[in-house]
Amino acid sequence: MGSLARYLALRALLIIPTVLILYTLIFIILRVIPGNPIQAALGTRYVPPEIIQEKMERLGLNKPLHVQYFEYLWNVLHGDFGESLIIEGRSIADDLKYRIPATIELILAGFFISIIIGITTGVVAALRSGSKVDKGLRVYSIVAYTLFIPWLGSLLILLFSVKLGWLPAGGRISGGVELERITGIYTLDALITRNWEAFKDVVKHLILPAFTLGLVLSGAYTRVVRANLADVLNSDFVRAYKARGVRERKVLLYAMRNALIPVVTLMGLQLAILLGGAVLTETTYSWPGLGSYLFEKIENRDYTAIQGTVMVFAFMVGLLSLIVDAIYALIDPRIRY
Amino acid sequence: MGSRKNSRGLSRAVAAAIVVVVILLAVGIYLMRGGGGAAPTETTTPAATPAATETTSPTTTPTTTTPTTTTTTPAATPTETAALKTVVIGTTDKITDLDPANAYDFFTWEVLSNVMAGLVTYDPETGQIVGDLATSWEVQENGKVWIFHLRKDAKFADGTPCTAHDVVRSIERVMKIQGDPSWLVTDFVEKVEALDDYTVKFTLKRPTGYFLAVVATPPYFPVHPNYPDDKIASDATWGGCGPYKIVEWVRDERLVLEPNPYYYGPKPKNDRVVILFYKNAQALRSALEAGDIDVAWRTLNPEDIQALKEKGYNVVEIPGLFIRYIVVKVDAPPTDNKLVRQALAAAIDRNEIAQVVFKGTVEPLYSMVPSKMWSYVPVFKEKYGDGNIELARQLLQQAGYSEDNPLVVELWYTPTHYGDTEAQLAAIIAEQWERTGMIKVIIKSSEWAQYVDQLSSGQFMLSLLGWYPDYLDPDNYLTPFLKSTANSWTGTGYANPQVDQLLEQASVLTDQAQRAELYKQVQEILAEDVPFIPLIQGKLYVVLGPDVKSITVSPLMFLIYSSIEVQG
Repeated sequence: MGSLARYLALRALLIIPTVLILYTLIFIILRVIPGNPIQAALGTRYVPPEIIQEKMERLGLNKPLHVQYFEYLWNVLHGDFGESLIIEGRSIADDLKYRIPATIELILAGFFISIIIGITTGVVAALRSGSKVDKGLRVYSIVAYTLFIPWLGSLLILLFSVKLGWLPAGGRISGGVELERITGIYTLDALITRNWEAFKDVVKHLILPAFTLGLVLSGAYTRVVRANLADVLNSDFVRAYKARGVRERKVLLYAMRNALIPVVTLMGLQLAILLGGAVLTETTYSWPGLGSYLFEKIENRDYTAIQGTVMVFAFMVGLLSLIVDAIYALIDPRIRY
Repeated sequence: MGSRKNSRGLSRAVAAAIVVVVILLAVGIYLMRGGGGAAPTETTTPAATPAATETTSPTTTPTTTTPTTTTTTPAATPTETAALKTVVIGTTDKITDLDPANAYDFFTWEVLSNVMAGLVTYDPETGQIVGDLATSWEVQENGKVWIFHLRKDAKFADGTPCTAHDVVRSIERVMKIQGDPSWLVTDFVEKVEALDDYTVKFTLKRPTGYFLAVVATPPYFPVHPNYPDDKIASDATWGGCGPYKIVEWVRDERLVLEPNPYYYGPKPKNDRVVILFYKNAQALRSALEAGDIDVAWRTLNPEDIQALKEKGYNVVEIPGLFIRYIVVKVDAPPTDNKLVRQALAAAIDRNEIAQVVFKGTVEPLYSMVPSKMWSYVPVFKEKYGDGNIELARQLLQQAGYSEDNPLVVELWYTPTHYGDTEAQLAAIIAEQWERTGMIKVIIKSSEWAQYVDQLSSGQFMLSLLGWYPDYLDPDNYLTPFLKSTANSWTGTGYANPQVDQLLEQASVLTDQAQRAELYKQVQEILAEDVPFIPLIQGKLYVVLGPDVKSITVSPLMFLIYSSIEVQG
């Protein structure tokens, strides 16, 4: 286990170059594409040119690029994500503080839904291998994977919000509901404060976005679970169990344990897609998370905000894949570091 | 074992690659949407805003005036009901910054106008400037010194009295902080001082006839003593002494207001206002239809408005003072030739633009000053008519062009900032010009962040643009465009000493009739010189859910939250 700790520490260190590479890329892209954040923000408003100049200077946009690059990096290392270029005085860290819990809530919910749907459909398909159900689920796995989130989201909103009126069309909490914010993850906050009215309300708001995200990601699990479980069910040890008269249900349980190991690998791979999907889901459902934030800030060329968000995103992916790696090592006895 | 490790290394590499691709794609998609630049509608844009109310145009009469509101206050006539009356307003706009020292956009100004109060305000009925915190005012030294007498019963939401010292401190704070809207103070005010607890004296840099319109803007609103003197408080909820107090603010998610118990004016018709923020017009419309919100405010698409109207929703139309126009570069060929500019102006058919591109949701505009505002003269209609191809051909011939030797022009637009209709707008204008048979139009576009850069550096021959005023006065529709010392941002290169002088003269006068006369002359020169071609003026729409009984909009086009009455 000592070697595992060492391995994990090394993996944790590897997050740093990942974040750095992404920061460098985004820094370059932002400066290469035409357009100036100050002008973009001011637009057609009349502001005396000397104020614009002064502002450029104050925000450090007149400095040489390499100075801007290292200065920002230095500040981030000290926990300072800088100020927005568009709304002066607005701390990016403050913005992110509001946004991160919203995204975490959404991706966790989406993640669990995708796993539940994915594993259930995969198991059913494997058990009925070759049947019509299996074929149907295989088509499902491909279709789900290719669904376009804004399209699916709009469809679900039309059906469940506009037509049936069962669920809200967007946002995180209703206008009339009060909730004390502790962690910023509303379902958790409602549970902590035992505010059941709010809990019901925030869960209702979470259902559609989480389901949209979960559905789109579930297809990949369906395929992997089906393929692996079908393989395992045909393997020697399962046949040996069966020959010895071990009950079907128990056999399936043993088979599942083996079939699910690749699913953990897939989880790691899906994480990045999960965050990418969150950008679109948040935009569709007016979910005030990191994804919709990034979307907005790109519109306005808010360099510092974009850089900060991308770094947080990269860090989150790094951290989550580290966790997946750890889980992987724990559940697969063959893995030793 | 080795291969297993390798394959894990590989999968991590793939994962990292995917992250990069996803983020690059997000950026890429944006740029491809023609975008990258700015919001599809006018989200983070121009300053606040104005517009006249339904009928009357705001006529400020800034000589010594006694405002229509009285010192002895409130005639609160609220209907006391047991149920809490909550109004939920949905918008695609954002609150950029709750500190009036730094807020400089339409929607934030609307919110500030509901939680704070200024010395003066606009009467929603008449559109005239009336006293709010000030009960009366006097003008001295021909408009260089303004003295306001304050009411004595104004209080902040925690009961702290709001005095002249708060007014002075708040304005000095704006000057010190130097946020985006600070020029609205620093360009005008030399010194502000409290003569006593209830008297504020402004000494201006130069006499300013329309100073009341400027004082009505949020940078002049007194803020609670808790606001730091020299720092922006973006998320501060202490507020001012207006009809509401902020009880909850979760950035980009929701803002909850409740009546300020110490407010001197009439009690609001509701007990609570919740503002929810939506990402786009479609989400806003769905929220209204799902019953999540009572009021759908800025900005729904023209098709949504039409569809909601057909479904029986109450759609309220607000004449906006948002204008659209073409910037003409006057200091480079071929548009340095006045005849060419006049020909271009003559060939434009504004009615066709309003009907075809905007489905009748806008009105034709024949001057840079909006039609509902005092001093408006439809100079372009008088001089050129609408779609006057014959006149355009004559002018082009005089300028030496013909069918065989056509005038070639470049028309620029920006694809997303003004909504999806922009490409069509550019196309129809090009078509109208080409109807003369003597003009060839090359249409070009660039995304917003780049567009404004190119514009201000004078790279466009002809370009489409829009304007929301900062304060409600013809000056704000003429000076930023026509005065040579103020119009460099447009890239037109227009400079006319006579216009400069007329505008300067008009700005210092306090008599509205005299000012109107000068602005008329300026508008006539505008139609003659054509550095800008006005096209249309916009309207705003607010769609009400079934529970909303009444709503009032201020002449500045702000919703007056206290006026919203809902079924309990």
